Amino acid sequence: MDVVAENVSQVWGADGPHPVVALESFSHRFRSGRFSCLLGPSGCGKSTLAQIVGGLEAATGGSIRIEDPARPGSPRPLGADSVMMWQGLNLFPWRSVIDNVAFGLEMRGVPRAERYAKARALIASVGLAGFEHHRPAQLSGGMRQRVALARALIMERPILLMDEPFAALDAQTKIVMQEELLRIFDATRKTILFVTHAIDEAILLGDEVIVMTARPGRVKEVIPIDLPRPRSLDIVNTKEFGALFDRTFHLIREEVTKAMAQQAEMVGGA
Amino acid sequence: MTKPRRATAARIGEAALPALTVVVVLAVWELLVRFHGIAPIYLPAPSSIAVYLWRMIADGSLAFHLGATLIRIFVGFAVASLAGIVMGLAMGMSRRVARVADIWIAALYPLPKISLIPLLIIWLGTGEAYKIMLSAITAFFPVVISTYSGIRQVDRGLVKAAEDLGANWRQIQLKVIIPAAIPSIFAGLQLGMGVTIIMVVAAEMIGGSGRSGMGYLLISSGQVMETEKVFASLIVMAVMGALIMKSQQWLDRRLAPWAVQGDGR
Repeated sequence: MDVVAENVSQVWGADGPHPVVALESFSHRFRSGRFSCLLGPSGCGKSTLAQIVGGLEAATGGSIRIEDPARPGSPRPLGADSVMMWQGLNLFPWRSVIDNVAFGLEMRGVPRAERYAKARALIASVGLAGFEHHRPAQLSGGMRQRVALARALIMERPILLMDEPFAALDAQTKIVMQEELLRIFDATRKTILFVTHAIDEAILLGDEVIVMTARPGRVKEVIPIDLPRPRSLDIVNTKEFGALFDRTFHLIREEVTKAMAQQAEMVGGA
Repeated sequence: MTKPRRATAARIGEAALPALTVVVVLAVWELLVRFHGIAPIYLPAPSSIAVYLWRMIADGSLAFHLGATLIRIFVGFAVASLAGIVMGLAMGMSRRVARVADIWIAALYPLPKISLIPLLIIWLGTGEAYKIMLSAITAFFPVVISTYSGIRQVDRGLVKAAEDLGANWRQIQLKVIIPAAIPSIFAGLQLGMGVTIIMVVAAEMIGGSGRSGMGYLLISSGQVMETEKVFASLIVMAVMGALIMKSQQWLDRRLAPWAVQGDGR
């Protein structure tokens, strides 16, 4: 599934005295089966874009189309082909691991035995066998991350939206989860939109890095990442990785400085 | 060798300290009454209160009055919780219901419920219906308010996540909003139980007929200056209240272990 964004804009508080333009004419074609990383300073609207693509937030302008490349011209409804992995995870604290993972199937009316069988297999595949009946609060941060991943994967949607899913993890756990995600991507070839503000993460994971401007968020530059797959953390030490990092770093530094000035202005003006 | 033993001794001392204060207070009280000749109608000695308490247990009167009060408490609480939860959920799910109910709650909640006694007696008489309604009306408010605010404070992220995973409106209400509001609903039920106990005893004391219940026992003993019985009733009611509240907390923890503070999510 291709995700085609055309002049997407999002304005918060448009009727109020201080409208905030989060996104402004964002255009990009996220190609089927590619891992695209949205990289930008905080407040540039990259999370908002992911939610708009998922049909969870209505854009104030422009359009998003989900297209099957085999059948162009018949766009699919937003949200029907995608599933989100959230920054805050949003696991249901009263549900056990297995009932969190099976939630989507339960909503679809899949019988208990069938959805549990599927959920169990997925839980095992993300390395959580034996923890089916724990509650999220009884797990470590990395384990909760895996639950959220399994809960998204069970939907078997071709598009995976990931909103800074690893931002809250410690460095070691983050590495493990990144390698896990690379493995899953190689195995499934889903279309992934991955929102991050970490340059190394974006280059390690992505086929392309879409560098966004400070608010209002626009595409500043799209950097193709031609590092070979399957990838592992070892590529971080290659010359190519270093060159890509430098290039991205210089692009983003400008924008981060702008974003910081904006924030300072907002604080000063308040 | 000595270190752990000293630690254990310290721990036992720590645990025994509250009990020790009770013993000391009772002993001082007993000695004061005995050796200062305080008249028992003002302050009976703990030992004679204990004797009265035992007599009330032995002749079955305590069980009779306590039983009557407990039944009223549980019926009043059941009525209040059911009505309060249903109303709170309706308010949480429909803006229109919330807007209409809100002015009624705003007007009636601050009203001291004891001031409803004359009206309730005119409408319902002085029997069981009056006692139960007075307590149920009082307990209804904390339950409905906690339920409604619990629903309003549900994490929007959870609702969005459920939506993303294909839940429809009905499923979101049943599978996300209500479970997420349970900690708050339980908090409302605990407040409701507290005021139910207070209002049942108040109704038994004021205007109620039937010659039963702890409130009746308390006020009828007071009127004939059987101060030992007054004290005995107070002790029983304190223990009753503490046991009810503690078992409710225990039950809440069993039913909603995720809601316990410190367990986080």
